[in-house]
Amino acid sequence: MLIFALRRLNLLFFTLLMLTIVSFSLSYFFPGEAINNISGQINPSVEELAALNELYQMDKSIIHQYFAYVGQLLSGNFGISMANQTAISADLRHYLPSTIELCLAALFIAMVIGIPLGFLAAIYHNKPADKAILVFAMVGYSIPVFWLSLIFILVFSINLSWFPTSGQLNLLFEIKQVTGFKFVDILLSDSPYKYLAFKDALMHLVLPAFAVATAPTTLFIRLARTSMLEVLESNFIKAAKAKGLSKAKIILHHGVRNSLVHIIRQMGLHFANLVTVAMIAEVIFEWQGAGSWLIDSIFHRDYTAIQGGLIALAIFTFTINILFDFIYAAINPLERHKKHGA
Amino acid sequence: MARETTYLEEEFPSPMKQLWITFNKTPMAVLGLSCYLFLVILAIFGQFITPHSALEVGDALLTPPAWNDDGNLNYLLGTDDFGRDMLSRLVHGTSLTFGLSFLVVIFALIIGVVIGSFSALTRGIKASFLTHFLDVILSIPSLLLAIIIVAILGPGLENILWAIALVSIPQFVHVTRIAVKEEQKKAYVLIPILDGASEIRVLITSIFPNIIDKIIIQATLAQSAAILDIAALGFLGLGAPFPMPEWGSMLANSLDLFYIAPWTTYFPGLAILFTVVVTNLVGEGLRHSLKIQKDS
Repeated sequence: MLIFALRRLNLLFFTLLMLTIVSFSLSYFFPGEAINNISGQINPSVEELAALNELYQMDKSIIHQYFAYVGQLLSGNFGISMANQTAISADLRHYLPSTIELCLAALFIAMVIGIPLGFLAAIYHNKPADKAILVFAMVGYSIPVFWLSLIFILVFSINLSWFPTSGQLNLLFEIKQVTGFKFVDILLSDSPYKYLAFKDALMHLVLPAFAVATAPTTLFIRLARTSMLEVLESNFIKAAKAKGLSKAKIILHHGVRNSLVHIIRQMGLHFANLVTVAMIAEVIFEWQGAGSWLIDSIFHRDYTAIQGGLIALAIFTFTINILFDFIYAAINPLERHKKHGA
Repeated sequence: MARETTYLEEEFPSPMKQLWITFNKTPMAVLGLSCYLFLVILAIFGQFITPHSALEVGDALLTPPAWNDDGNLNYLLGTDDFGRDMLSRLVHGTSLTFGLSFLVVIFALIIGVVIGSFSALTRGIKASFLTHFLDVILSIPSLLLAIIIVAILGPGLENILWAIALVSIPQFVHVTRIAVKEEQKKAYVLIPILDGASEIRVLITSIFPNIIDKIIIQATLAQSAAILDIAALGFLGLGAPFPMPEWGSMLANSLDLFYIAPWTTYFPGLAILFTVVVTNLVGEGLRHSLKIQKDS
C-alpha cells in the first residue's frame, strides 16, 4: 500500500510540476507584459513595479522566475484580478466551492443512476431492455449540455414551475458565507429559517445537477455494462453457476463487486469531462461557480484570473482522480500487492 | 462439373475490408453511415440548394414553422428575429459546425499519429517524460484547455478551430502510441525486422495497416467531441461571430427569443444532437465490428 501511495504521489508531483510550468509560461504567451499578467497589476507605479519585479525576480533568469512564481503560489498569492483588482485567491475561495458542490452532486447522480442501469443492460444482454438503455445512453452522450439545460428550464421551471430557473439560493435568505459551500454554510448558520433555506438550495441544485449529470451517466452506463459483461463471462461465474447458485445471487455476490472494481478505475478519468460540462451549465443556470467566473474572465481579458482558474480547476480534477485511484486500490487487493492474488 | 478455378484459392481480405464486411451487417451502423454521408454532401453542396441565403433578411419576422397555423410554406422551419430562414441557416451551418469539425479532426489526426508513432519508437527518459506530459494534458478538462488557448489567441472562429485541434491531438498521440506498442509485441512484426527493414519502414508497411481501424474509431470520437466543442464555444460567444449560421451561436442568439419563438432554440439544438448521434453511431458501429472480429 505504501509503495502504491508513493507512486500516486509521485505522479501527483509530476502533474503539479507540469501544471505550474504551463501556467507560468502562459503569462508570457498572453498578450501584454509578463509581469502584468502574472501579478494582475495593470498600471503599477514605479515603486510598485520595482517591488513586483523583486517579488517575482523578473530581472533574473527564467528558472529563478519560475521558482519565485511557484513560491508565490504556495504562499497563496495568485495575484490580483486584472478586471476588478481583487485578490484571485479570495475569488477562488468564493467561487470554487460552488463548482465542487455542483460537480459532486452531478457525480453522485451519475453514479446512482448510471451504474445500476449499466448492470441491468448487461444482465439483459441483447434483450429489449438492453437496447433501450443503449439508445438512451447514445442520445444522452450526444446531447449538447447547453441545449439540454435550456430544455430543462423551459419544461421544468417555466411550464411546470417545479424548480427555480437559475441561481443557487433565494435572495430572501441571508446566509453568512463561512466555508463557501452553500449547504455547509446553511447548516452552520443560526438563521431561524435554516431548513427552509436548505430545501430552497436543494431545489436550485436539482436542474443543474441533472443537466451536468446526463453525459457522465451515459458514460457510466457503458462502463458498467462492459465491465459486467466481462465479469459474467469469466470462469469464477461459471463455477458459481455450476455450484447451482441462483442468478440473482451470482450477480449480487460476485458480479457487482468485481465489475465495480473496473468501473471505479475508469471513473476518475472521466471526471475531467464532467468538469467541462459543469463549466457550461454554470453559465446557463447563473451558478456562481469557478466555471462561469472563468468564462467571464475571458471576456474581460483577465489573464491572472484565467491562470488561477486553470490551476484551481485542474487541481480539483487531479484530486478527484487520485481519490478514485485510492478507492480502487482499497477495493481491489490485487492492485495493492501481488500476493493478494492467485 | 466444370470448375472455374483449378486451385482453391483462399482469400484473406485486408483488415479494413474485414471491418467493412462486419460493419455492413449491423443495420444501425449502416443507417448511421448513410446519415453521415448525407451530412457530408450537405456540408459541401448545401449552400447551392437552400431556398434563401443564410444572411438574407426577410420581412416575415419570427414566422413559426410551416406546420403551425401561422406558418408560411416559404419558410419551412420558420424564421428568426431578422426574418432569416431557419432551414437555410441550418443547412449553411452544416458546413461550419460539421464540415469544420471534420477538417479539425483530420488535422489533429495527422499530427497526432505522427507524434504518437515516433513516441512509440523512442524509449527511456524521453518516452517517460512524454507519457507524463500526456497524462497531464489528458486530465485537464478539454474545454478548459480550449478556452485557455482561445484566451491566448483571442476569440474568433479560426482561433477556436486551432484550439480544438490542439486539444484533440493528445488523444490521437495516446491511441496511436498504445496501438503501435501493442503491435510491436506481435510476431509478424519480427519478420520484416529480420529481413533488415528499418523501424520506420516496419511502421509504415506492417504496423499502420493493422492499427488504422483504431485510429478511425478515435477520429469519430474526436469528431463528436469537436462538434460539441465548436458549438459550445460558439454558444459562449467565443467562436463564430454573430451573423454566421454556426449552430452553437444560433442557439446563443435565440436565447432572448426562447419564450416567444421556441423553434429558434429547438432546431439548432436538434441539428447538433442529430449530427453528434450520427457520428457516434458510425464510431460505435466500427467499434462493434472490431470487437466481433477480435472475438471470432
